[in-house]
Amino acid sequence: MISNGNEIGKLTLLSIVWLTIVFVAVWMVTWAVGILLPMILSNSLGEKALLINEILCFLTPVLSILVFIPINAMFMVLIERRALALFTVRKGPNIVGPDGYLQTAADAVKLLFKEDITPTGADAFMFTLAPIVFFAPSIFGAVPLLAAVTNNHGLFQVLNLPTGIFYVLAAASIPVVALVMAGWSSNNKYSLVGGLRSAAQAISYEIPLVLSIITICVLAGTLDLVKITQQQAGGILNWNILGGGALSGIDKFLAGTVTGQPVGNILSTCYPFSGLSYLAVGALIISTIIAFWLYLTGACAEINRIPFDLPEAESELVSGYNTEYSGIKFAIFFLAEFTNLFVVSSIATVMFLGGGDNPIPVWILDSIAPLKQAIALLNDSFLVQTLHLVNPETLFSTLWVILKVYLLVFFAILIRGTLPRFRIDQLMDFGWKRLIPLSLIVFIVVVFARGLVICHG
Amino acid sequence: MANLLARAFSGLNQVRRGLSTVFGHSFKEPITKEYPQIVPAITTHFRGRLALTVNPETGDHLCISCRQCERVCPDKCIEITSAKSAETGKLELIDFRIDHGLCMFCGLCTEVCPTYCIINTNDFELSEYSREALIYDLKKLTLSQDESAFYFEKKEMPLPKPKPAKAAAPAAAKPAAPAAAAAPKAEEAKAEAPKADAAKADAPKADAPKEEAPKADAAPAKEEAKSEVKPEAKPEEKPEEKKD
Repeated sequence: MISNGNEIGKLTLLSIVWLTIVFVAVWMVTWAVGILLPMILSNSLGEKALLINEILCFLTPVLSILVFIPINAMFMVLIERRALALFTVRKGPNIVGPDGYLQTAADAVKLLFKEDITPTGADAFMFTLAPIVFFAPSIFGAVPLLAAVTNNHGLFQVLNLPTGIFYVLAAASIPVVALVMAGWSSNNKYSLVGGLRSAAQAISYEIPLVLSIITICVLAGTLDLVKITQQQAGGILNWNILGGGALSGIDKFLAGTVTGQPVGNILSTCYPFSGLSYLAVGALIISTIIAFWLYLTGACAEINRIPFDLPEAESELVSGYNTEYSGIKFAIFFLAEFTNLFVVSSIATVMFLGGGDNPIPVWILDSIAPLKQAIALLNDSFLVQTLHLVNPETLFSTLWVILKVYLLVFFAILIRGTLPRFRIDQLMDFGWKRLIPLSLIVFIVVVFARGLVICHG
Repeated sequence: MANLLARAFSGLNQVRRGLSTVFGHSFKEPITKEYPQIVPAITTHFRGRLALTVNPETGDHLCISCRQCERVCPDKCIEITSAKSAETGKLELIDFRIDHGLCMFCGLCTEVCPTYCIINTNDFELSEYSREALIYDLKKLTLSQDESAFYFEKKEMPLPKPKPAKAAAPAAAKPAAPAAAAAPKAEEAKAEAPKADAAKADAPKADAPKEEAPKADAAPAKEEAKSEVKPEAKPEEKPEEKKD
């Protein structure tokens, strides 16, 4: 039945190799700057190193993101091309380097060495500023996510904000300004139309996006990303996508029955209105699944991916807002687009899919003895105790985050391979007449149903 | 409201079907042929670059300068220069030029040729750096003996009659026997059928003495197609390939 095992195996190997390269590189830089350097400095300089260490402490997260973004974008472009090739029964880039691993590196080098052209009649200042404004939010917007996706690692706690998700969403809506800037300053009618379309689209689709996020915030009772992640710990039943913790009572009940502890009145404390509460649980599960879908749709439109890539519809507008861009400025646009895809996927992971939590409930994991021993062995090892090179808690949660985020990215690629582009009037119709009412309904249902259930109790 | 919900669900269902179809495609073997490394197998009747054959046995040029191809060419891309030989009184070919930049590969010239001299080869890689380089002269057009034998075998064309008859009676000014036999057929109908018939009819007598050549060609047919990529660039390699 599967006659394409060879190609699938190659794609899997490529993903594993590239992800290892990306994350090992990022972690090595973070570790060197955040742990090794302060350790050496405080050993040699003593108290004088305190100030430098303080600075390094703030520098580490930013540096890790700066290292991460270009390598990750290169990997994502490659995986997108290969996966699309898989879906369209082709082979994809497989010439440069071993099996095409270095294709995007070669592309990047080519783009960086190309001539940087500013068209005649363009507003040169705005033209230069646009890619910067487009790219910057993906760096400073992603910072609060770091603590959430690394299970509140000590190095990244500094940049965790109490208003985390609010800040991330605010930062994520800045790129639209950059697109309008790029479209206007290019002195090209296609670019202008592309920029205006992107503004219209972003305004329309940000509302369902934000409403679906607010729904989850209402369920969680906080805006802090780390707290939202920690609430969802303990298996798939606690994740926000399944009722936002409405099932955690059932989870506890199951854990109690399996381990033989007294169950007591867990169910009646979590679901105080018996029949009505269970109805509310069902409503919550349906609502959060719809909210997740709304979020994915809105996010897809927000980052201008197919089927919502009207700002750069190449059959209508040559290439939309980036028609006139070339060389390094175009590279920055390209980089930011893929980084945005990653950021959006990690927000979805943190808000809906439990962050670094593994889908298997804790009470099943606890019953497996060898797993505990292996983790204990890792905890006592030289790497963890002396060098602090590996942090077991962070390690496993990060692996889960990577898996979930790249599964969402893969799903976005699948969507790109399947769905055709919307027409502009259909887009507006769909956004204003369908998604916004639906998200409002979901929001109201959640607000009322939440009172009947004790979530994350 | 109910109608709206029904439409929403059917729309979602269609999206789901589309996604599963596309995902299902990832289990199919890619249809990509990595072209420069893997040359496609081209059928016999592929109309590629034009070329002139020689007698696979003796190596004599088969063109009799009848100018039929020049006459029939819709693009007027063929230009033949010939002169009457003083000794034999027959037309002798001086130059044969085909502008492949003009040619549209209709294949009319190959159908009209009485001696099966001008043929379409399987070579399709004609890119050059200038338009002038696409004008092929006699030397560039003429195939080697081995290549001619390969195409005679592959296209099932009747092999030309042995030359001695012509050499014995030089003054007679009679065209070679195969030319006489094939000319009316080629003119009366351009269809494949008479050609094939002629091939069958001629096969026993023509092939009998030269069994080795076609047999040697049959095996490395694939290699031949590969090495056809640049026949004029490496003519020396051809015979070597065929021997093994």
